[in-house]
Amino acid sequence: MIRLVPNQSDSIQRAPLVDFTFNGRIISGHMGEAVFTALTRAGVLHLRDAPADGAPRGAFCCMGLCQECVVEIAGNSVESCRQPLSEGLAVLSVTRGKHG
Amino acid sequence: MAEPFDIAVLGAGPAGANAALEASRLGCRVVMIDEQSHAGGQVWRAKSAAVLSAPETPETSAGNQLRKAVSQSAIAHLGDARVWQIEQVPEGWSLQILVGGRSETIIAKALVLATGAREFVQPIPGWTLPGVIGLAGATSLMKQALMPPGHRTVVSGSGPLVFFVASEIRRLGGTVAAVVTPNSRMDWIGALPSMCRRPDLMWRGMVWMADLMLARVPIFWRHAVSDVRGEDAVSSVQISKLGPDWTPLRTVKTVTSDSVCLGNGLIPALEAAQLAGLEITHAPELGGWVPKVAKDGSTNLRGVFMCGDGVGIRGASAAEIHGKLAGLSAAEFTGKQVGLQKNRLYARYAAASSFGLAMTALSVPRPGLEKLATPQTIMCRCESLSRDQLLHEIEAGAASTNAVKSGLRAGMGPCGGKFCQTAIARLVASTKGLEEGAVPPHTARPPLRPVPVSALAGDFAYSDLPIPKPAPL
Amino acid sequence: MTQAYDIAIIGGGIMGCGTALRVAKGGMRPIVLDQGDLGQGASGVNAGTLSLQIKRVKLMPYALKGHAEWESIGDAVGFRKTGGYTVAFTEREAELLHERQTLKAEAGAPITFVSNNALRAAEPHLSHKVRAASYCPDDGYANSSLTGQYYRAQLRDNGIDYKERAAVTTIAGSAGGFELGTSKGVISATRVLLAAGAWLKPLAALLDVELPVQARINTVSVTERMPPLTSTVIGHATGLLTMKQKANGTVLVGGGWQGRGMPQEGRGEVLSSSVAPNLALAQYALPDLAKARVLRSWTGFEANVPDFYPLAGALSGVEDAYVLGCVRGGYTIGPYIGKLMGDYILGREPELPLFDPGRDFTKDVI
Repeated sequence: MIRLVPNQSDSIQRAPLVDFTFNGRIISGHMGEAVFTALTRAGVLHLRDAPADGAPRGAFCCMGLCQECVVEIAGNSVESCRQPLSEGLAVLSVTRGKHG
Repeated sequence: MAEPFDIAVLGAGPAGANAALEASRLGCRVVMIDEQSHAGGQVWRAKSAAVLSAPETPETSAGNQLRKAVSQSAIAHLGDARVWQIEQVPEGWSLQILVGGRSETIIAKALVLATGAREFVQPIPGWTLPGVIGLAGATSLMKQALMPPGHRTVVSGSGPLVFFVASEIRRLGGTVAAVVTPNSRMDWIGALPSMCRRPDLMWRGMVWMADLMLARVPIFWRHAVSDVRGEDAVSSVQISKLGPDWTPLRTVKTVTSDSVCLGNGLIPALEAAQLAGLEITHAPELGGWVPKVAKDGSTNLRGVFMCGDGVGIRGASAAEIHGKLAGLSAAEFTGKQVGLQKNRLYARYAAASSFGLAMTALSVPRPGLEKLATPQTIMCRCESLSRDQLLHEIEAGAASTNAVKSGLRAGMGPCGGKFCQTAIARLVASTKGLEEGAVPPHTARPPLRPVPVSALAGDFAYSDLPIPKPAPL
Repeated sequence: MTQAYDIAIIGGGIMGCGTALRVAKGGMRPIVLDQGDLGQGASGVNAGTLSLQIKRVKLMPYALKGHAEWESIGDAVGFRKTGGYTVAFTEREAELLHERQTLKAEAGAPITFVSNNALRAAEPHLSHKVRAASYCPDDGYANSSLTGQYYRAQLRDNGIDYKERAAVTTIAGSAGGFELGTSKGVISATRVLLAAGAWLKPLAALLDVELPVQARINTVSVTERMPPLTSTVIGHATGLLTMKQKANGTVLVGGGWQGRGMPQEGRGEVLSSSVAPNLALAQYALPDLAKARVLRSWTGFEANVPDFYPLAGALSGVEDAYVLGCVRGGYTIGPYIGKLMGDYILGREPELPLFDPGRDFTKDVI
């Protein structure tokens, strides 16, 4: 089929893969990419539950505004769209405030 | 105390970076602060460190050129830094900045706000499901990570962005399940005269559309995604036909997909301007509420200048020129001679704006679009508030965005109302029979982005805390 | 054609609305006017602390009654009686705590001093650097942002007229009353009550009365939702910290740190130089707060006169004009003193004495 917009996905070179964990599950991603892009590639879209109604939520604005992709790393709330991935990073879903 | 700069530029997109470059060229000491590591803004966002090489695009070339100019200039570029508060001080303006987990102060005689835009997404059933991202969000994802949002994506929204996103998904190896846009073919034909000013962009747009047609990707003109379904994440979407004012008429198709991009035009990011104290006014043709700013970027606040999409959605080309104007105005304020340099830019700014404003006109939501939200649709994502809950509060007498916020916490969550206040203001206006211009956004509060308590507290000794005298007994 | 009301109440905060409800119950026909939305001034943006430990000694009887009012309102304003601790970190603060809380206990507040062990058992996340602490089981909080919603419903349910975004720009005396020029038309009323908080001074000036009202600009901050960190209201011996974790997990931090701005300009600005030490003190008291992200800081104008006692009574020199405001601890005391004011306007003897707005503020006359 004729493509006016060629598929260039094979001509993209990426940094080496490293392992990290999300809620204990081992996932690989490219060193230095945003945590959320590594999770998205692995098919992990459901990052946390909304505190008020428990509904599943994932990355939305992808630019550090909406706070939907916030995860917990070393006890801190971190926007996974702005957090670079490093080897062994332990990423958890935020469960704060579920009691309310 | 921090060393004072002549000019602090907030934002390193086409507007901010060009403002900084102009002022720096004229000999001003300039600091440019941006959330991203590299200059470029959202439109020319740099690829992440994890992408070692990738084919060039017009966006990456423009961004690289800008980044090169910044790196060769004397600009102090502070990346990965988030401004959280803006205060007037005797020396000019002070910015509180979150950088590397600490809060720092930067002082400058003049301030250039180039905070750009964010996206309006019309709330629809299921838009909170994982796998639904903003249309602008999709561009951010693809520009930084060079990957599509999913395997099979429905791309839905107004204006040119929907075709750009669809095309990028295909370029990066994804599949576009459908393109859905509230615009009709006639809307686009109506925009042709303005588009002729930018034959390069018009040509790109035609290539995008032709490619989609050749690939037999269905394009739903004058339609919208009316429902996103799935358990833990998106599994399918429903597409509805829209009337002339974009009122949803009937569901026409269900499409399976694992991802959806939704967007209904850009809106100026105002919060920094509001914190600085700029007045705002409602201008639907510019994307909604905008600060009062002159065409050379000057404002009625001493030493405050503003440029780019933050003062009205005119697009990247206009933002570049407006940035130069604001940079010159700010340099002039600090005592530099700029002569007639500004005069040469006004005509170019007007020409570039005309194209950008035509694109904005295609994107501005028509009144029927808000009917996509059903009574149970979540409007405030942070607090999971439904349209029904909001409507009840408004009908009980809450007649302003501030009152709705106080009563229900709509806008008190982590996003600070950035993704609900436009829709809520519209609901207040339509329920109370008011013009949208009579319902301003809720009062802006610092911090502009969430700031950890530890960053605010810093390293301190208890005895150093400036504890005033206790209150009268 | 303008309608004549028995009283026009200018200011739709707790005190204005509270008075309106009382006089309406007594048979009068009031109207409440606010330049903005109901309950969006100090009534709606204060930290919501209901603590007897931070009330003035001479206002304690009013504060005790105020607590009872909020408790009876209950869930509609998010009332929680959690108990509260006031802590001291230095020897000097411990002395201050002892001296001040003893006097407040003598004034009727059920305040006791507690051991560090008892404090740690109750509040395990609190800093171990606490040297002394007092406790009051009656302390707690309500959700001040619900003030507007609550009083709007109360006015409506009691058939009381109100106008929002109706700034009063002129007050003219007329035969048998007042004519008020507002941005939403002219209002006629037999009496007028000024209850406009930090905006009392320019308002009284419309009646050629000078009230020496000033405003403090108090800062409040709130964090994102956190796991349970504290279950009571935490205060500091100096009064410069109030902190509580709401049921939804957010932590609200106040303590009267000053912002800047003028009520007349309608804009109170947050100063980072106040937010930083306020949050540092909060983190010192509750170290786990370090990892919480602050989502929002704001200011509210707290009106006062030089002796820091209320203005509550007849406005001197103008017949049928009254003033209510400048109540230190006004959120706590507001609903009660509104009732007292209503009784006074109805010509009844208030349960507790009011505070003559015509007094000499430079002398200790209260």
